[in-house]
Amino acid sequence: MNQTLTINISGIVFHIEVDAYEALKVYLSTIKSYFNNSEEREEIMLDIEARVAEIFAEAQNDKNQVIVMADVNKVIAIMGEPEQYLTDEEEEIPTQKTHRKREDKKLFRDPDDRVLGGVASGLGAYIGLDTVWVRLFFVAAFFMGFGILTYIILWIVMPEAKTTAEKLKMRGEPINIKNIGKAFESEAQKVGEKLQNVDTNKFSSKAGTVLENIVMAIASFFTAVFNIFGKVLGIAFLFVGTFMLVVLLALLFGSTAIFSISNDGVYSMASQDFFNLIFINQDQFYLASIAVFLLIGVPVIGLIFLSIRMLFKVRSHYSVGLTFVGLLVVGTILVFMVGTRLAVEMSAEEEFEKTEIISPDFNTYVIKTNITEMPGQGVLEDKFTSISIEGDMMYQRFVELSVERSKNDSMMITTNFSSHGKSPKDALNKAKAINYVHQLNDSILFFPDYLATNKEHKIRGQQVEITVYLPLYQSIYLDKSTKELIYDVDNFTNTYDKKMVGRKWVMLEQGLTCLDCNDIEGITSKELEELKALKMVETVIE
Amino acid sequence: MNIENTQAQMRKGVLEYCILSILNNGEAYPSEIIEQLKQGKLIVVEGTLYPLLTRLKNAELLSYRWEESTSGPPRKYYQLTDKGKKFLEELATTWDDLVAAVEITRKPTKK
Repeated sequence: MNQTLTINISGIVFHIEVDAYEALKVYLSTIKSYFNNSEEREEIMLDIEARVAEIFAEAQNDKNQVIVMADVNKVIAIMGEPEQYLTDEEEEIPTQKTHRKREDKKLFRDPDDRVLGGVASGLGAYIGLDTVWVRLFFVAAFFMGFGILTYIILWIVMPEAKTTAEKLKMRGEPINIKNIGKAFESEAQKVGEKLQNVDTNKFSSKAGTVLENIVMAIASFFTAVFNIFGKVLGIAFLFVGTFMLVVLLALLFGSTAIFSISNDGVYSMASQDFFNLIFINQDQFYLASIAVFLLIGVPVIGLIFLSIRMLFKVRSHYSVGLTFVGLLVVGTILVFMVGTRLAVEMSAEEEFEKTEIISPDFNTYVIKTNITEMPGQGVLEDKFTSISIEGDMMYQRFVELSVERSKNDSMMITTNFSSHGKSPKDALNKAKAINYVHQLNDSILFFPDYLATNKEHKIRGQQVEITVYLPLYQSIYLDKSTKELIYDVDNFTNTYDKKMVGRKWVMLEQGLTCLDCNDIEGITSKELEELKALKMVETVIE
Repeated sequence: MNIENTQAQMRKGVLEYCILSILNNGEAYPSEIIEQLKQGKLIVVEGTLYPLLTRLKNAELLSYRWEESTSGPPRKYYQLTDKGKKFLEELATTWDDLVAAVEITRKPTKK
């Protein structure tokens, strides 16, 4: 029992046995690959196929309705192998042996060795360079900006090497029968394998059960998908990795400000100055830089390396992985060293307080701050904190203001200065060195929103916490500028800090209460007056 | 020197002339041409003919018309064009010259 296929040659339908079909297919493509001129080739192939159909038609009768191997062999005997054809192709061989070899090389895209379109491998074959280097060039060019365009143009311009003759031309091998035969053999083998995978799956029952075939088809589909996915992922890795590496290098060793990107867009800015304000000396800074580079940079380089492996199927030596691990260990040790040193620097914390008593001359005091920029050059700016330097001075926006009830009838302002340091003494010195002054102008209390210290003191968690103590019935107005300054101000209605600004507040028994709120629960000025009067009466009676 | 190669080269040169000559006697389709060529042992395999016919046709020396066949696909019947006839005449002259030249060289030279 033999499997047959139905084929159509020159419009005539034949039943052909599978092995005969394969032999015929190989034979016809051998002839096809023998002709270089593509226009002529199509026509010649049609003529030859017509003749094949004629021979097959002659061979058929009532008894023999199926084309078998013998018929194909007969066709081959009649039509002959292309080597026997007395055509110009054969004639050219002797003349192209040496000097024409180079000229005969033609630029083709290589469909057998490609990542995207086979441009790099085709170019590599043409200029005689290993494909890996051409690909590396394209990757480099991609990041310099002109890579994509160049590649697309080349992709469009370069034809794909479809036939065996074209593939030989691409590699610059002389096109003679021997080489074609050689190239064709591997091609035929590939075709054969494909036929086995595809045709037998479809037509043959001996290849296995239907289920098995389906599983195999699904498996090969997923392999293909994963291959494509791997390439895409590889390109993404390469892109992300390189970007991260550039950013990291600039961040660590660049002198200009670096932008980092968050959900809110570009918001954080840091420069080398910032790191100098943290580390005790330059050495520590460089050690930390190297540590960060190792801990972040090595994985990033690993990512780039991985992407190159995914894209180009380059095999790596096991020492590469070991080196990566080793560098990570070194990075960890460095971080530990610098970290401990910094931790010691920050180990102690001290604070001291200044208190000022204010006579409650005014019904309502206005609490204000500056809404202008920080002085000098910013070294770290983001939504919450800001550090800048000007000359020897360093300014930090670590000032907080709170409002509380006074324990007596006087109004007070306490300013708490605190700082970290390597010893309590050092910490106290740093706290005392904080330069922060508020001003009182009539009924206006002005609190700067930044503190100043000498640059020498470094960033050691210096902080100023102001508490305004209000006696009963004293009211204040929180200016809108204090939005970022006030911190967790207790009030009766539990109103959120940001919503407290721009409003008048009064200190009552129950706590700070809003005086002019419409949308949130508060009391009106009228009610306050009544309340005051009542309380006054009570105190008089007592 | 390879004797087979030289023979093939000689045959090849004559082949085009012969095809044109056959068609000069009237139009024919490839199998008929092949039959005649095989008789003269000019070609061994049929595959040789198709590229040659296509090239001669592309050189406008031949033209063809389709004719239905009872035993297979439609056939291409080739015939000489005017250009082909002129080409054949020139080839004929060259052939005569060649034959004469060959004859002269084969005769022992008179001293």
